[in-house]
Amino acid sequence: MEGLAAVALAIALVGVGFWTLIVRRNLIWKLLGLNVGASGAILFLVALAHRPGARPPIVGLGPGPSADPLPHALVLTAIVIDFATLALALVYVIFLTEHRHTQDVERLERDEERGWPQP
Amino acid sequence: MAAALSGVLLYLGLGLLGFVGAPRAFSLVALLGGATTFALWAPGFPEVLVGGLPWGIAVAGDTWTVGLWALGLVLHATLLVHAWAKDSAFHPLTTVLIGTCLAGALSRDLFNLYVLMDLSSLIALVLIASGRRVRAVWAGLQYLVLTEVGLTLYLFGLGLVYGRLGTLSVSALAERGPNLSDPALAVGVGLLLAGTAVKTGVFLLGLWLPQAHGQAPTEVSVLLSGIVVKIGVVTLARLAEAFPVGTVLLFLGVLTGFGGLLYALWEKDLKVFLGFHTVSQLGYMLIGLGLGAGTGALLYAVAHGLFKGLLFLAAGEAVERTGQRQIAFLTGRLSLPLAVGLGVGACAIAGLPPLAGFAAKGVLALGAPGWAKGAFFALGLGTAASFSKLVPLLRPRERGPAGGLPVLAAAVVALGVAGTVLAGDLLAPRAWGEAILVVGLGYGLYHGLSRVRPGLPRWGFDWSVVSLLGASVGVAGLVAFGGL
Repeated sequence: MEGLAAVALAIALVGVGFWTLIVRRNLIWKLLGLNVGASGAILFLVALAHRPGARPPIVGLGPGPSADPLPHALVLTAIVIDFATLALALVYVIFLTEHRHTQDVERLERDEERGWPQP
Repeated sequence: MAAALSGVLLYLGLGLLGFVGAPRAFSLVALLGGATTFALWAPGFPEVLVGGLPWGIAVAGDTWTVGLWALGLVLHATLLVHAWAKDSAFHPLTTVLIGTCLAGALSRDLFNLYVLMDLSSLIALVLIASGRRVRAVWAGLQYLVLTEVGLTLYLFGLGLVYGRLGTLSVSALAERGPNLSDPALAVGVGLLLAGTAVKTGVFLLGLWLPQAHGQAPTEVSVLLSGIVVKIGVVTLARLAEAFPVGTVLLFLGVLTGFGGLLYALWEKDLKVFLGFHTVSQLGYMLIGLGLGAGTGALLYAVAHGLFKGLLFLAAGEAVERTGQRQIAFLTGRLSLPLAVGLGVGACAIAGLPPLAGFAAKGVLALGAPGWAKGAFFALGLGTAASFSKLVPLLRPRERGPAGGLPVLAAAVVALGVAGTVLAGDLLAPRAWGEAILVVGLGYGLYHGLSRVRPGLPRWGFDWSVVSLLGASVGVAGLVAFGGL
């Protein structure tokens, strides 16, 4: 049952994250939404490793079934990638803020159509 | 196997060392080391599990690996010649990016491919934004966000497939003969496919691609269209190997080919125009993959990497030297090497014999059914028509430096001649006549279309994300529906 609850939570996280990404106009909110969505995918992988009554996959915890260790290993990599993505994207948001004095996507798009007039 | 892995390690390690100092020297050593290791494993090697454990990471040296390694090394050599004087961060980033793509070509493990696709997008963003121009940064940021959305879907699909089949190795998946009538598995495969399609820039899922490729600095556009797109194509090829998704790929291929072409026909910005053609040419590769013609798709991927690299190199130099981006304003302002490079590239992409495009199109059409030949014919016609726009640019004004153009031009001609001779059937006068006829008809079509000005829909950032999610659901549904 814990596994199913985690899967439901993962899907809810992706929903909230992508909703924020689409609806918010501020770039930082959008990036946070993207990151929440990505966390949903990570939680989904972790939830899949769950087995009823299983222990954490650590050597020396005693006998009995353990959770599948492979998704846990994959998730570590995915977490690092998400962190790197967010950090890098924020650097470029700072760049845009310095040069265009806005983080509003609609204003940036309007400026793009007009050929980037001086702010 | 050891040689190939040490080649990748050389690339990544020397690229990182280049950030500390002597960037050009390290980049050159990486290229030489990569070429040496390539020569050592060149005929290929069977699949091996690195680490030796049952869940080890599978790598293999098949035809895709050989083709993409050759492409990556040629592009790296070109950029070293062309951009030797470029600033210090460019060379290390290029080395690491090419190393990533070489590793992607080797990998036969879905999670490894995810990591490498993501890594290549991150490095590509740094390179796109390296010119510190606002438009490039804005295009690059959209590129990154849309790619990340796609890769999040990919991760979900990965989880579903792993949960059902318990493995992520392409060969093991193919052996288990996945049955797509299982809805969870079908949705998983659909999400994998949709995520890769977004990363590759398949049409509708990726209207970001032309802007990002067009706004990037010259050398970066060459890399993006030349090899970064191909890591997505390799992943699609691996997915097509593991799962029975040929029909979906055919559908996406036709959509991509004609959609990209439609936008390219009326685009006025030279580099964005070339970006739309990258999308359109992906259609050929996807149709090839969908038909099961792996060799044709691979040859097309390599040929496209070479001639689109040549086109972007010549066009980018022209744009940078004159400060004009519109095709109309560039007429008569190109130097001799740029005009020759642009001309050779345009002839190759239009499929004039005996250049690379002709050989690739010929091999692709060899075993194709009638309707696919018709689609190729229509695509070729449209490509020739849209490239007729560049004919006025080919009148050179003066001599100028050639940079890395001769390397790529020679590669385009060499691959074309080799492909034409080896394929056998392509030496027949009929094949040559047909290719020339298509180009001639296309040139006529261009003049017929010059009065038409349709308003093509364009959408902003938010709608891109929405359409991307909608299209992904559509692809997943298509896979599930096909399996039922």
